[in-house]
Amino acid sequence: MLPAPEDAIWFDGISARRQPVVVEVSPDLAALRFGGQVWPVARLRRIDGDGLVLAQLVDGGDELPHDPARLLLAEGALAAWVRARAPQLERRDLRRGTGAKIAGRVALAAAALGLILFVFLPRISDLLADQLPMEQEVAFGQAVMGQIESFLGEDRALTCTAPEGVAALEKMERRLTEGQGLTYDIELRVFDHEMLNAFAAPGGQVVILRGLLDEAQSAEEVAGVLAHEIGHVEARDPTRLAFRSAGSAGIIALVLGDVTGGTVIGLLGDHMLSASYTREAEAAADAFAFDLLQRTGIGTEGLATFFERIAGMGMEVPEILATHPDSGNRAEAARRAAGAAAAPVLTDAEWQALRRICG
Amino acid sequence: MQPPARSDLWAEYRGDAAKLFPLALGVGVLGLITLGIYRFWGKARIRRHVWGKLRVGDDALEFTGTGLEMFLGFLMAVVMLAVYLAVVQLILFSVGIRFVFDPQNEMEELAQAVSILLSFVAVLPLMIFAAYRSRRYKLARTRFRGIRFGMEKAASGYVVRALGYLVLTVLTLGLLWPLMTFRLEAYMTGRTWYGGARFRQGGSWTGLYPAYLHVIWGMVLIGLAVLVGIGGSPGVATFLVVAGTIWGLIGLVVYRVRAFAYLMSHKEMEGGLGFWATPRVGAVIWTYVKGALIVALLGGIASGVIFAPVASLAVGIEEASELVQLEFAVLGVVAYLLLLTVFGALSLVFISQPILAHFVNSVMVTGAEALDSVRQRVADGGADAEGLADALDMGGAF
Repeated sequence: MLPAPEDAIWFDGISARRQPVVVEVSPDLAALRFGGQVWPVARLRRIDGDGLVLAQLVDGGDELPHDPARLLLAEGALAAWVRARAPQLERRDLRRGTGAKIAGRVALAAAALGLILFVFLPRISDLLADQLPMEQEVAFGQAVMGQIESFLGEDRALTCTAPEGVAALEKMERRLTEGQGLTYDIELRVFDHEMLNAFAAPGGQVVILRGLLDEAQSAEEVAGVLAHEIGHVEARDPTRLAFRSAGSAGIIALVLGDVTGGTVIGLLGDHMLSASYTREAEAAADAFAFDLLQRTGIGTEGLATFFERIAGMGMEVPEILATHPDSGNRAEAARRAAGAAAAPVLTDAEWQALRRICG
Repeated sequence: MQPPARSDLWAEYRGDAAKLFPLALGVGVLGLITLGIYRFWGKARIRRHVWGKLRVGDDALEFTGTGLEMFLGFLMAVVMLAVYLAVVQLILFSVGIRFVFDPQNEMEELAQAVSILLSFVAVLPLMIFAAYRSRRYKLARTRFRGIRFGMEKAASGYVVRALGYLVLTVLTLGLLWPLMTFRLEAYMTGRTWYGGARFRQGGSWTGLYPAYLHVIWGMVLIGLAVLVGIGGSPGVATFLVVAGTIWGLIGLVVYRVRAFAYLMSHKEMEGGLGFWATPRVGAVIWTYVKGALIVALLGGIASGVIFAPVASLAVGIEEASELVQLEFAVLGVVAYLLLLTVFGALSLVFISQPILAHFVNSVMVTGAEALDSVRQRVADGGADAEGLADALDMGGAF
């Protein structure tokens, strides 16, 4: 049933003139004809709008492969005929190769982000960290320490101050640092917190948490852990880590939509606590510790014993073990380093005093 | 206002809530299911719908942009932004820790505030850049009578000017805001084309001051409050501050509406086509208040519908296994996101759309016979679509 010719508006895609035309269906029912134009029905596509707005599928075309020309039909018999007869009126065509294009772009974006996060950022943050003057690094470390203290202690002061304990701690500090030619002025302290952990902040601050003192069986074990942390300090590992987290926080902020980056500094303290240094940094800190323990005559036996015991406990892993699933090997390595103990670090009375430093 | 001549055409927005709401809700839910990926396609669908309802005379606009190009543009922008933000963040951090961690406490707080402000300022040029690009993309994908609109590639120049005028505005405590509004709009209008015909912004920046008057009154009151406060009457000062703030805020709405009217009425297109816009402040405010009430009412009902079943499941949750508790928590989050989607759709339909309708319906196009001689322009590839604006999450309602 052939619909009668109808009045319509044609925009030719070349000028903005409104062109009234009379549209008729071709005798073979395969095309619309108007004003010298022939639009095959199979190529008709509907455009959003009132009435029936038609465009033609073409090879080149715009964002969608449509010709810019438009034909406006009022709702009526002809529009109904087109809706019934045009097979792909509602089809949203894609250009050839679109799938490959999407896959390519997604892969490219993922690769670029990976490159930024894992190659570019670490390099540039290490570079910046290495250029930080030492006195600023120390000031920065003190601020980070303040953050961690208020984070752990919920705004209660945590540093333990029992006089005999502090004296024992100072003795241990002298034994580990005096005459060793360290770059940083190491500052030791104990936080009153049950977590089994010890960590280093930028600029020479090293903290033992009470949980570690409770667990350790001798002063040599504690000294071993401290030597490892001093290794991190001397290698500037905490400072690098802080810079890296600051950089990636920028990206995290982007993903979360917080472009002001105000959360960065607040997050740093948390990062220090659960510090995950690279395997190489841990290995270097171990090597530093073995060497230091040997030179100071403390010996590596204490550290080896500590590694073994903690590894067997299967509890929340402190930083010192975090990136080393294979602690048994480290104990062996410590024994192989074979610094024999020349003299005990602390007397038995001093060791007991240190364990009671938090009162 | 002169009566419409033969060659005058009214702009008209014919959208209605019943058609837009199912669409907005549908694309919102799809966006939720696809973890946000669908939002680009959703935006394209909503724009196609809304553009198709906007008519000048008998002819509707057409939006030809696609979700795909917006998605790809977003991907590109995220990568660029990642580099930029990471580097800026690092540099700010490495400069920042030299004063942020100053021993003195008050200094520390001040410096911290400054460094946060700085990291915002670092993003500001990008946001301005993105705003220009976004407008250019929308114009490049808008058709009227089959002819493309377009805007020149000039976003960098726009950023420089916008930052300059922004500094001027801040330094003059906002007094030169109309200068910024006018010059920036003129910059964009002068680079806008319909086919081969160029637009031009007429009028002058001083012409915006009548529109800005109420903001100035608000500022004067606050200034007075400072004087009175120094003079030692805190009660009067507080009253003046409150009054000045309210006056200024309403003044801002007045300014937005009247500035639109002034700028629109002084735009013209080559060939003698012009505009005449008469939006009414009262109508805009009332539309907003009415819309907000409807959204609150329907949103309240929706939250009941969504959360009632969730709450009924919560009975006895404490005794349930951990897995069940976890499932319940996920269900709660999903319900919450669904409610946000419903609110988004409602405010689009009952606030944004009616306000758009009011502004559009207030515009008359004069000298429309100029349209007949406009010729087509070449397509604008616009490789990044409006990806930067999407990545910075700064899209408007439409």
